[in-house]
Amino acid sequence: MLGDIITPDLFASALRMATPLALAAIGGTICERAGVVNIALEGIMLTGAFFGTAMVLLTGSPWLGVIAAVASGAGISAVHAFASINLRSNQVISGTAINLLALGLTGFLMELWYGHPGTTDPIKVLRPIFNFESPGGGAIAEAWRWFDSIVFSHTPIVYLTILIAIVAQVAIHRTKWGLRLRALGEHPRAVDTVGVSVYRGRWVAVLMSGALAGLAGANLTIEQVGSFTENMTNGRGFIALAANIFGRWTPVGSYLASLLFGFADALQIKLQILRGVVSIPPQLFLMLPYLLTVIVLAGVIGRAVAPAAVGEPYEKG
Amino acid sequence: MKGKKSKVLAVLLALMLVVAFVPACAQEEPTDDPGADQPAEEEVTIKAAMVTDVGGLGDKSFNDLSYEGLKRAQEELGVEIEVLESKEITDYESNIDQLATAGFSPIFAVGFLMTDTVIKMAPEYPDTQFGGVDEFFDPPIDNVVGLNFKEQEGSYLAGVVAGLATKETFDAKLNPDNVIGFVGGMDVPLIKRFEAGFIAGAKSVNPDVKVISLYAGNFTDQAKGKELGLSLIEQKADVIYAAAGAVGLGTIQACQERGALFIGVDADQFETVPGSGDVMLTSMMKRVDIAVFETIKSVVDGTFAGGENQVFGLAEGGVDLAPYHDFDTKVPQSIKDAVAKAREDIISGAVTVPDAL
Repeated sequence: MLGDIITPDLFASALRMATPLALAAIGGTICERAGVVNIALEGIMLTGAFFGTAMVLLTGSPWLGVIAAVASGAGISAVHAFASINLRSNQVISGTAINLLALGLTGFLMELWYGHPGTTDPIKVLRPIFNFESPGGGAIAEAWRWFDSIVFSHTPIVYLTILIAIVAQVAIHRTKWGLRLRALGEHPRAVDTVGVSVYRGRWVAVLMSGALAGLAGANLTIEQVGSFTENMTNGRGFIALAANIFGRWTPVGSYLASLLFGFADALQIKLQILRGVVSIPPQLFLMLPYLLTVIVLAGVIGRAVAPAAVGEPYEKG
Repeated sequence: MKGKKSKVLAVLLALMLVVAFVPACAQEEPTDDPGADQPAEEEVTIKAAMVTDVGGLGDKSFNDLSYEGLKRAQEELGVEIEVLESKEITDYESNIDQLATAGFSPIFAVGFLMTDTVIKMAPEYPDTQFGGVDEFFDPPIDNVVGLNFKEQEGSYLAGVVAGLATKETFDAKLNPDNVIGFVGGMDVPLIKRFEAGFIAGAKSVNPDVKVISLYAGNFTDQAKGKELGLSLIEQKADVIYAAAGAVGLGTIQACQERGALFIGVDADQFETVPGSGDVMLTSMMKRVDIAVFETIKSVVDGTFAGGENQVFGLAEGGVDLAPYHDFDTKVPQSIKDAVAKAREDIISGAVTVPDAL
């Protein structure tokens, strides 16, 4: 019975489902560290998912699709940057507007380009990188099945995400750029005083978060499902925001938090298999990831302190 | 300076909102003046409309099928048609209100989620005729006809195919294990009918078969559908039936990647999902289009069955199995015969298919 739940695919599935959350969460981390709230992650992810798919449909190249997803993510986040940095508008409102815009824009362009709403035609997807033969037999083969499934069964962006989490962690905490980024979110006036442009620093951070959320969209369409469906992100951008907070505004923390959410989701699927044995309504399991989010945000993990100047537009004095 | 910037922002946000709402208004062929070329003898043109569920047009499922019925009525009966899409559950009421105020009748409310809205709105517009797709009204309402389907009967046939196929070897994707899978959208009575029929059908021909059912919790998340499919395949399921809207599209992807056969739902998904032929064994078709068309026809003929709950089963042609398409030559005659026998038994009443677990 337990063997039906604790399987190699449980962990592989957790990694797969954590990837889009983690990319968006790391994007959110960078953005909020610079003092800009980005609740538009959901919409940016959807935009990346759409333009990535559109590019693959156009060119047949999944990698060009990934580039298009990243570029379109950065592109639509520029709207957020302009509104919240240059125009000093309320960042939550600007983010909400982008979420609405992305939903409408992708639906509209689907009608315009493909003549129908709903789901696009299937696209060429990125395949898992590794494809090793199982060595030996017996216990070795069994151990290898686990190892291969958890470590080697993944598509490129899954691995890239782990790399991005580590690089971003080092960049934010160990480099001059990172020091300035953190200062932008804590005390932008100080950054301005030493002659570094607050606007420019924040622009770069918002664009980076857009690019990462766009990449998350590419993972969903070009790696996971191989087509675009309207509103397919299904709230992942908002769970990513929670993961960013749970990860205490650090990239590796965001990744680990996303992994926990991914694991909870993977676990609930496997737990449903038990329904044949024990009669439990599936809703109970489906609740698990969201319940976890609420518990986490309610402060079980201790108080998380946001950057001091987050959400405050900076006005040159 | 600051005032000017706020104005720019205001314009920008207004533009965003306009773009955001464009698709909501951009229906396909909004009343393409169908009456013009018709021999317009009738003094009053019938104006039929539908309100989609949140899945919207393009769901390759019951919303699209309802629209097919509407389009057929436009071509064959010369009625005017209109579609309003619901993006949120909160759109139901305003969409119905808008159509009823504009004089549309009949108005089809598509999807069981809209049942309560119809119960609330229909008495407010007593002269408007309503059709509720997948909606059962108890007590019945005078100006509403409920259009329901015996999904369990079609699913029973799908279960017969899956239960026999998992023991066969006609395709390399079939494994020796006696396990099949079901993917459901939301755990609601409607989807339970699919599940109950599928399990009953499979067990009728293969009593030892293990059927694993997994639910996604929604009808839109394809990535979740793929994960559910991968989990089923890891459990050695080799034939998977999905009644889960767009979620099932992800399950098809899982079947293609890891090798399992798929049974589609609602429409003949071999036709509606491009490139799925290598795994699409068959589909359980739910002829929402026929039910919608017949209802419009009854309004045109003046025989509208208000106050009734109609049920379309196998006998009425409301549900059935689609062709095997690419698998037609591979599927052994024994399976085809078993399906034919099950169909006869259900229609004759020799077999009663359960509608709940």
